[in-house]
Order: sequence, then structure tokens, then C-alpha cells
Amino acid sequence: MAFFILRRVGVMVLTALCLTFVVFFLTNLYPNLEKLAKTQGNARMTDTEVASWIDRNGYGGPMILRYGEWLGVMPGWVREDPVNGEWRGRCLERGQTPEDAPRYCGLLQGDLGFSTVSDDEVSNIIGGRLALTGVLMFWAFAVMVPSALLVGVLAGMREGSRLDRSLSTLAIGSTATPEYVSGVIFIVLLASSQAGLSPLLVEWGWLDGGTLFLGSARSAMDGPNFWNFTLPVMTIALYGMGYIARMTRASMAEVMTAQYIRTARLKGVSFRNIVLKHALRNALIAPFTVIMLQFPWLLTGVVIVETLFNYNGFGWTLVQAASNNDIELLLACSIVAVFVVLVTQLISDIGYVFLNPRIRIS
Amino acid sequence: MLPTTTQHLENHPVAEMYAEEYKAGQLSRREFLVRSTALGVSAAAAYSMIGLSPAMAGGHMVTPPMGGSLRIQMEVRAQKDPRTYDWSQLANVVRGTLEYLVESRADGSFAGVLLEGWEANEDASQYTLRVRQGVTFNNGDAFTAEDVAANFRGWCDATVEGNSMAARMGALVDPETNQAREGAIEVVDDYTVVVTFPASDITLIAGIADYPAAVQHRDLIGTNPLDHGVGTGAYRVTDYEVGVSARLEKNPDHTYWGDAYLDEIVFIDLGQDPAAWFAGAEAGEFDMTYETVGEFVDLFSAIGWTQSEVVTAATVVIRPNQNNAPYDNVMVRKAIQLAVDPQVCLDLGINGQGIVAEHHHVCPIHPEYAELPPLTVDKDAAAAMLAEAGHADHVFEIVSIDDDYRRNTTDAVAAQLRDAGMTVERTVIPGSTFWNDWTTYPFSSTNWNHRELGVIVLNLAYRSGVAWNEFGYANPEFDALLDQANGIADADGRREVMAQLQQILQEDAVTLQPYWRSLFRHYRDGVLNAEMHPKFEINVHYLGVEA
Repeated sequence: MAFFILRRVGVMVLTALCLTFVVFFLTNLYPNLEKLAKTQGNARMTDTEVASWIDRNGYGGPMILRYGEWLGVMPGWVREDPVNGEWRGRCLERGQTPEDAPRYCGLLQGDLGFSTVSDDEVSNIIGGRLALTGVLMFWAFAVMVPSALLVGVLAGMREGSRLDRSLSTLAIGSTATPEYVSGVIFIVLLASSQAGLSPLLVEWGWLDGGTLFLGSARSAMDGPNFWNFTLPVMTIALYGMGYIARMTRASMAEVMTAQYIRTARLKGVSFRNIVLKHALRNALIAPFTVIMLQFPWLLTGVVIVETLFNYNGFGWTLVQAASNNDIELLLACSIVAVFVVLVTQLISDIGYVFLNPRIRIS
Repeated sequence: MLPTTTQHLENHPVAEMYAEEYKAGQLSRREFLVRSTALGVSAAAAYSMIGLSPAMAGGHMVTPPMGGSLRIQMEVRAQKDPRTYDWSQLANVVRGTLEYLVESRADGSFAGVLLEGWEANEDASQYTLRVRQGVTFNNGDAFTAEDVAANFRGWCDATVEGNSMAARMGALVDPETNQAREGAIEVVDDYTVVVTFPASDITLIAGIADYPAAVQHRDLIGTNPLDHGVGTGAYRVTDYEVGVSARLEKNPDHTYWGDAYLDEIVFIDLGQDPAAWFAGAEAGEFDMTYETVGEFVDLFSAIGWTQSEVVTAATVVIRPNQNNAPYDNVMVRKAIQLAVDPQVCLDLGINGQGIVAEHHHVCPIHPEYAELPPLTVDKDAAAAMLAEAGHADHVFEIVSIDDDYRRNTTDAVAAQLRDAGMTVERTVIPGSTFWNDWTTYPFSSTNWNHRELGVIVLNLAYRSGVAWNEFGYANPEFDALLDQANGIADADGRREVMAQLQQILQEDAVTLQPYWRSLFRHYRDGVLNAEMHPKFEINVHYLGVEA
């Protein structure tokens, strides 16, 4: 088991290295650096000003060396300003000279670098944003998993019944609707004072002005509540719910046709007991993997939902970093994404062993 | 602080001449105000010179009650050296800390902030700036003439990348050294600075009222204001998260020289999508918009917010770049102009929220605007002209940013060119990358902000070789006339030159410039002094909320 985990960590480090190098390569192509220079300097700089900016801010050297600087295996760049003699450098604080500053400052030294779009250290930014996304993900899971399992089990216990057909249709519908569609539909129906339900409710006197739910989750960053957090949570949860429900149904339906269920039924065990005591545990093994697989899926889901509802978490940060070519913030986001994907897969594999004694990890 | 009437000049010979012109009906009230206050006459005195009540000088500002908190929806961008600001939003956040020497009001007049007043000599080549006394920085240092001179020297430093103030300083910058000219900025005593131009220059006051002209401490020129927080204003920035929000609070450790009302101002960034702003407004996330655009003007009004409108010289140009074939051919450019009806662009681009323009980038609200014969639109003649130029089968690619009004206006142009039988392709580029090449696209649209005088924008964008000349336009005759116009203080005299300049721009078919935009802002009931400003300025010192 220890060897298995070690090997997985090794794969994780290797994947992170490859991914960050690809991201580093793409963000350091010259047109992207030019874009960076113009967003950081002045949107209307001339080409010579851009070239001077790129060189002065340490984006000028060979790409592989700068990747080494970011990793912390190469010494960080330093430049002396020819006009006022001030030193600038990757590892330098304002006013420091190269003698006072550390030579290396990269990932290995625990320094994630500087985010140009946020004008702050990446480590200061990414933590708070991840926490916000964590809250969103927690609530999405809290809604999604129980409801999906319930729908799946109910649908799967009598395959082909009317209940199965209607729940399955619901599940397929919800999983076939991407977040950017369901989110917009939710906003129009529930969070507009001009269209949908809210004007009706106001007319009937059930609502005094305003909207039923809030179509912007900005206030949820300070304190999530039922009114400002329902729509983003539902938008994420609904998409994943249909998928997990379908998997649970399939697994449940399969278990319900197994020999031991038939035996139990012939022995006269009540249907209720068959489902709860005999079928459920075995039926939940497959959905467990699917649920863990939903973590990486949710990570892409939050990109859309956080942008749509203006909730400034990890997904929103990723969009900001990408659209502004914020190299070091993007790299940090990639590492986080790799970490989340591989850790959830590790948990899923280990959890599977405990749930299903037939599987062995060697 | 509300604008107060201070020791400006009571009159000025040229200003009196303007007053005569106003009374003779040759100048509009707005033109008169811009001209006379730029010469150092106080707005109140200017109003009284033309026999109006000075009470009108204060506009419709009211005195708000003390205290309260206000949330403003506005982009929060990464701060930098104020000289290199390229967005008004950057200036609005720090305006609570860093004040300006002069501000431009929504009615077109100029009023002193850190200057008590200023006088121009007869030919407007020398300005005497009188510095406000009793102003201190929040680090305890007194604000003196030395600070003003140091800021001027900083603005004149053309070696700083992206320092757009250098262009506004005009002939104060020595082209040899790219620094301020020797002896051009002279400190006479603690509270007097004299600025001397080699020739007359009428754009100085407008230049130092513009948003990159935030006044820094004399030792902190060229620094990011968030790094030190030193300024003369009543507020300090407590939180600043780019793309998310910024928070200002009244600085309890600083005695402000004027009045400030609100205790707290929060700028909330809801991104670039107006639909998200509207969702935020419905969710009660903020009290006031930075700007309301397009169809959302009506929507914000529909949910009961108060609308504030101002007519401006803000516009969009859809211009060919003459460094690219076939746009180096004046016949091609003329054909494009002939095929496009500005009224259609106005209606389809911005729902008719503005007035029609005449392709020469000088607005009727500019004091030196000269009326030219009306333009003709003739699609058949356009097609014939293009065929004559030998480019009848050229595929025109028009680039625009991916937004609301700029994209729609460009689409309207493309549709009209197609009506005239031309082959047109449209390319829409997202806002994050559009500005990379905005000066060099062969044929694209660009928005231009309001500027107080017609000559300012001609100097910034149409003079040969200047950084923002996106037209690839280089005409020595035009440059010479522009130099001449820059030195004429008299409105009528300058108008004659302006008529020629405007005509040259039309004849050379430099750009399509179909309309002037009205700008809109919305705020909730109870927000005070939040009227829209032609240059998007938000001075947090004036704002208030009803108790």
C-alpha cells in the first residue's frame, strides 16, 4: 500500500512538471508576453516600449532557464536600472540589492511567485480563493450526492417501472444541460425582477419587491445564505447529479438481478429489507468512484459558475489569470488542479479496496 | 469638499473678449466657460461676466449629510504609477487620496483643487499657478510649490514607458533630453509656480485636469500610490483586491483641507459584462454604476434607479490604417466614407443615444468647432470610386473589440459597405487581446474618450508619428496648421484654422467617426452628487448619501 501511494505521488509530481512546463511554454510565447506588457505597462505602448518592458521585467532570457527560475533550480534574475541604479529582480523586494536577497526563489523554496494581474504574491491570493471555492464545492456536494443516490436507488430498484422511467428522464435531462445553460435559465426564472417568477410573486404579494433569489453571488463571499447561494450551488449540483444518479441506477439494477437477491426474495424477505440491507451496500461501490471522479469535473464546473455568478473563487481566478496571461498565477492554478485530480483519484482507489474486498492493490 | 469659489482672476482681457462674443451669440455658454476658466477666471466670475447668476457655477451639487457608506460598481485594476494610467477607473479609486491641481466639471469649466487659481499671460504662453495654502499630505508634510514643480518635472519625463502626461505637457518637454525644458518650470515662492512655454499653449489646464495628472508627494514621483498611501486627500485605501473590490475609508489620522462626507466607499468589480452588473444591481450588491451602457440604460431605469446623462465628445472611430494597402489610397478611404451613413451607425450602434458626427473628430461642444457643409452619402458613387481606384474586389476585413456598442457600430459599418457592393469580413477580438495591436490593425474600430478641446485629440491622435496615431496619418500641412491652432487663444481666430484642419481630415478621409456618445450612469435614490461626468470622473470627496 505504501509503495502504491508513493508511486501515485511520483506520478503526481511528474504530471505537475509536464503540465506546468506546457503552461509555461504557452504563456511565454512572444505575443502573450506582449499582451502581458501592455496590460501591465500601458494598453497603448509602442513596440520598442514593449521590448524594453519585457527585458526589464525579466521575461527576456531563454525560456528553459526562466522555467528553472520558477522551479527554484536556477538563480533568479536581477537587473540594474541604468537610469537610477535601482535593482530589480525575481527574488528582490523593493529597494533590496542582490546581496541581501536569496539567490533562489522558486517552487522548491516555497515561493509561488508574483501574480501580475492581482499585483500581489500568488500565495496570498490562491489560498483565499480556494477557500471560497471549497465552500461552494462543499454545498454542491452536500446537495448533489444525497439527492443523486436517492434518485439512483429509487430508479434502479425496479428497473423499467414508471418511477424508473420518470426519474431517469429527469437525470438524463439534468446531466445533458451544461452549467452555462442551466445557470442562465435559473437567473431568468428566479433572479430577475423583469422576467420569470419574481414579478408574479410580487404581484401576488408574496414578495415585497426585488427577486426571489439573487442572481449574483458576490455577497455570498462574505456570508453565504439561502438567497444568494442557492442558484450557484444548484447549477453545479444539477449537472453532476444526473450523472451520478444514472451510475447508481445502473449499479443498483445490476445488483437487483444478482443471485443472492433472488434467494433473499424467495426466502420471503420484504422488498424494503432487500433494498436497504442486501442491495444498497453493493450497489454503492461503483457510484463511489464516480463521485470521486466528480471532483475534477466540478473544478471545470466552477470556472463557468463562478464567472456567471461573480463569485471570486478558484475558477474565476483561473479565468482572470488566463485572459490576462498571468504566468505565475496560471502555473499555481495548474499545480492545484493536478493536486486535486490525483489526490481524489488516490482516495477513490484506496476507498475502493475497503468497499470491495475482491480488489487488491499490490 | 464641495468646489468653492477661490481667488481666481476676476477677469482677463481675452476672457472679456469671449464674453462679448458670447453676448453676440458667437459662443455657446459652454464654450465660453471652457475658454475663460482655462485662462484663470473663476467659474463664478465667468458666469457673472455674461450676466448669469454665479450660483449656477456650483452646478446642481448639494451639500450631503456627514457619514454613510456607498458601494460603486467599477472595475478595480492593478494600480501603477499615475502618469502611466490608461483607465479612468485607476484614477477614481485613488482620487480619495491623490488629488489633482485642477478638475474639469461636467459643465465644461475648470476649477482649482490643489491650486487656488491660475493666470495666463496675454498670448497664453506663460501660466502663473497659485498653490492652495494650508494643504498637508497625510504623512504630515506641507504641500508647497516644490511639490507642484516636482510633479510637472515628472509629467515631462518622456523616458518613462507609457507616460501619457508627457504628450499633454506639449512643448514643455525638451525633445533632445526628453525631460522638462530648462527653466520652463520655475518656483517663485512657496506658493507660486510659473510655467513658461516656448510658444503659446492653450491645453495646459485641460492637461493637468486629466486623470493621469494625480499629484504625488515630491519624493514619491513615479511610484505606485498603493505602496505608500501618501496623498493630500481625505481618504485612505484599506483593501485593494484587483478584479474584486477596493475599499476606502476616511483617514482618521489626517486633517483634510476641505470637506468630505462619506465614511466609507467600496468599489465593487463585477467584470466587463453589463448583464452581470444588472444582476448585481438586482441583487442589491451596489448603489451606483460607473457607467451604464446600451440597452442596460433602459433596464436600470426600469428597476427604479435614477438616470444621469451627459453629452460628450466621446466617440468611436472606425478607421483604416494608411500604412496598409489599399488604405494608403485616398480614393479607397473616400469610397468607404461615402458608403457609410453616420445616422445608421448611431441608431444601430448605440440606440440613437448621442448625436451625429462628421468624420473629423471635433465635436460641436468643443469651443473651436467649425461648422462645415453637410456630408453626403452615396453608395453608387462609392462603388464607382472604388472601382476607379482598382480595388473593387478587395476583401475588407474590419476588426473590432468584442463588446456591445463598439461591435454593433462596426457591424453597422460593415453592413453598409456590403450594401455598397464591397466584400467585407468582420473579425471580433476579445477585450483581453484586442488592445495588443490597436494602433496597427489595417481597419478597426477604437473608442476615444471625451476631451475638453478639439485640438487636444487632434494632437494626441492625428499628428504625424505620435504614439496614439492609429490612422497611420502623416500630413505635414496638417501638422503645421495644428501647431498654429495650438497657439491661438482667441476662439474665432482658432476656428478659422480649425475649419481648415477639419476639412483636411474630411478630404483625406482619415477616419469614419459617425457619432458622439451620450454617457449614462445610474444610482439608487438617496445617493448625492453622483452625476455622470464626461470623463467618467468620480470624486469621492463630493459623494454622499441621504441620512
